[in-house]
Amino acid sequence: MTATITKVPIRPKVRDRHHRGLSRWVVLAGVTVGALVMLVPFAFMLLNAFKSPGDYSSGGPLSWPTQFYTQGLRTYWSEVNFPLKLWNSTLIAGSVAVFGVIVSLLNAYALGIGRVRGRLWIVGLFLLANMLPQEALIYPLYYVAKEIGLYNTRLSVIIIFTVIQSAFGTYLLASVLGTFPRALLEAAALDGAGKWTVLWRVVFPNLRPTLAVLLIFFFIWTWNEFLIPLVMLIDNQTQTIPVALASLQGDRLMDAPTTNAGALISLVPAILFFLIFQRTLARGITAGAEK
Amino acid sequence: MQRFRRIVAAIALAATATTTVAACGGDDSGDDSGAKTLKLWHYEGENSAMGVGWDKAIEIFKTEHPGVEVRFERKAFEQIQQNAGMIINSSEGPDIMEYNKGNATAGLLSSQGLLTDLSGEAEKRGWAGKLSPSLQTTARYSDKGVMGSGNWFGVPNYGEYVTVYYNKDLFDRNGVTVPTTMAELTAAMDTFVGKGITPLGMAGAEYPAGQLFYQLALAKADRQFVDNYQLYKNPVDFRADPLKYGADTFADWVRKGYVAKDSSSLKAEDMGTAFIAGKTPMIVSGSWWYGRFKAEMKANWDTFLFPGNTLNAGSSGNIWVVPTNSKAKSLAYDFIDITLRPEVQDLIGNNGGIPVAGDPAKIADPKDRKLIEDFNTVSKQDGLAFYPDWPVPGYYDVLVGGFQALINGSKSPDQVLDTIAKPYADGVKEITGK
Repeated sequence: MTATITKVPIRPKVRDRHHRGLSRWVVLAGVTVGALVMLVPFAFMLLNAFKSPGDYSSGGPLSWPTQFYTQGLRTYWSEVNFPLKLWNSTLIAGSVAVFGVIVSLLNAYALGIGRVRGRLWIVGLFLLANMLPQEALIYPLYYVAKEIGLYNTRLSVIIIFTVIQSAFGTYLLASVLGTFPRALLEAAALDGAGKWTVLWRVVFPNLRPTLAVLLIFFFIWTWNEFLIPLVMLIDNQTQTIPVALASLQGDRLMDAPTTNAGALISLVPAILFFLIFQRTLARGITAGAEK
Repeated sequence: MQRFRRIVAAIALAATATTTVAACGGDDSGDDSGAKTLKLWHYEGENSAMGVGWDKAIEIFKTEHPGVEVRFERKAFEQIQQNAGMIINSSEGPDIMEYNKGNATAGLLSSQGLLTDLSGEAEKRGWAGKLSPSLQTTARYSDKGVMGSGNWFGVPNYGEYVTVYYNKDLFDRNGVTVPTTMAELTAAMDTFVGKGITPLGMAGAEYPAGQLFYQLALAKADRQFVDNYQLYKNPVDFRADPLKYGADTFADWVRKGYVAKDSSSLKAEDMGTAFIAGKTPMIVSGSWWYGRFKAEMKANWDTFLFPGNTLNAGSSGNIWVVPTNSKAKSLAYDFIDITLRPEVQDLIGNNGGIPVAGDPAKIADPKDRKLIEDFNTVSKQDGLAFYPDWPVPGYYDVLVGGFQALINGSKSPDQVLDTIAKPYADGVKEITGK
């Protein structure tokens, strides 16, 4: 019985493939062109990262380097004390990702499943917090941080971004949990599960793929943040990678090859992180589609 | 709805509460004679002239102050530019730092009471005697934060000015000699144009266009004009000379092909790299390029002062300031004093910088010496005229927009002068209240 069922749909699929032959190639070509366009800036960065400043100035950004020049990479690595910045960035982005997801989950549980009164307003408020430009938040954040003695500490940035990221996370998860199957919750309640048990035993396992995606997004978003770390972290000991990268840019002069080299080194951790977790990412994004 | 209103009210209340708390933030100035650390920040590159000179200054400071720890950090220019006010208003800031000169930066912070008045030290240690009057302009700020008069809030270490860089090889190949008058300069440019070469590199999208305009205007200007334009002593008429002459001549140069029409969208970096690559015979730009050209350019090149001008765009470099919250003020003064000593100043000069109190005879490289001697010539005849975008906040973009239109020919010189006159007048009104 099952054999016939599975066999039947295969045949039209095979025929379909031949029928759509041309359009498939068009789509493939489109995707390839799109991917190449996306890769062009990276190619430029790679090309110029290994070029000497003189080479860059006389040949321009498009020329092929006359020598394999690694001084830019080494200068950047040692001048900004890259391992320390890497640790700072990892610590901040990692903590924000974890805390942000936890806070988002707890908020969304109350809003989406708990259905507290006025949840629409609360979600709206969260969204508003997320949409506010960071420039508008800077001064209040600075004053509060200064008054409570957290200015120039990594903790201040972790707290700020946990709140900002979880605003988005709450909004997203609350709407996901709004459609959570009621039957499942009622069944759990009948079995005598309390709110806490329902959260960890029923809701959390079902949400895991979505949470993993949130975790990764929070990490990468926080990793790339510039303005708030720039303002809050004034010591070289506490700074993150994007801030370190900015130190290569001078008042009136720029050092394009070293900046490219710095960008290259700074990009590697984020790419590695993405490659390691990209399976989770793909699974999480498609998780909702299968329903 | 009721709930929502209550939430909004609570947030508004919390916000005002925090700002009032912040406003009460303490200013504690105490005795710091026993300070054992000096927290020092600057944002010059490690191998730049100032970076090398100040490393030496730190070394000297350490030998003269055994037992004092120097906590030096190299900062990002952008970080200081954007947040200096916030940083030095906290207890986490440095005891001494490099900061941008000018009304919008050092002037603003001094008027907010965030910088220490250095007048007494300048008198006692003789800093005033080492710096020429036009260098002192950027060190002193009035109580409104306008440079040029009042107390000392900063001490410059190096100078910068706009000069002409030329490619010797291109000059020789085309039979052009170094011009010493404006007539010779235009003749030289005609020669290049005749051979199909655009003689003057330009970048309309950034500062070079405004600086060339200013440089041309200064040919017909005197110190009184500079005081009027930069220090608001008297109103400035944009439709009269020298500014009219500057805009007319600029338009003339574009028409004659001295400046390429398509340079209106170029950036300073493009102009610089074209010169390094040997494609442009001349550029009119600042001494900040010098070190880079020296390191990267293969063709022979040198500099000459803009022909015929007594006044030139230029000023002191960035300045050392001591925040009001500094916990080691007397050590900071000692450090500033060391940076003005001959051994540090000569080191700056020998690395391609322009020392403010150096001796050109001690400079080994002839090209370096020429750069410094030219600067000293300008500085001695009180010829530093600052930069065209300094007088009012946001004026940089106004100038860029105006001269982009002049280069691509979409506006006449008079129209350009009108567009840049209004924001100037508005800005000055806001600052002086007149």
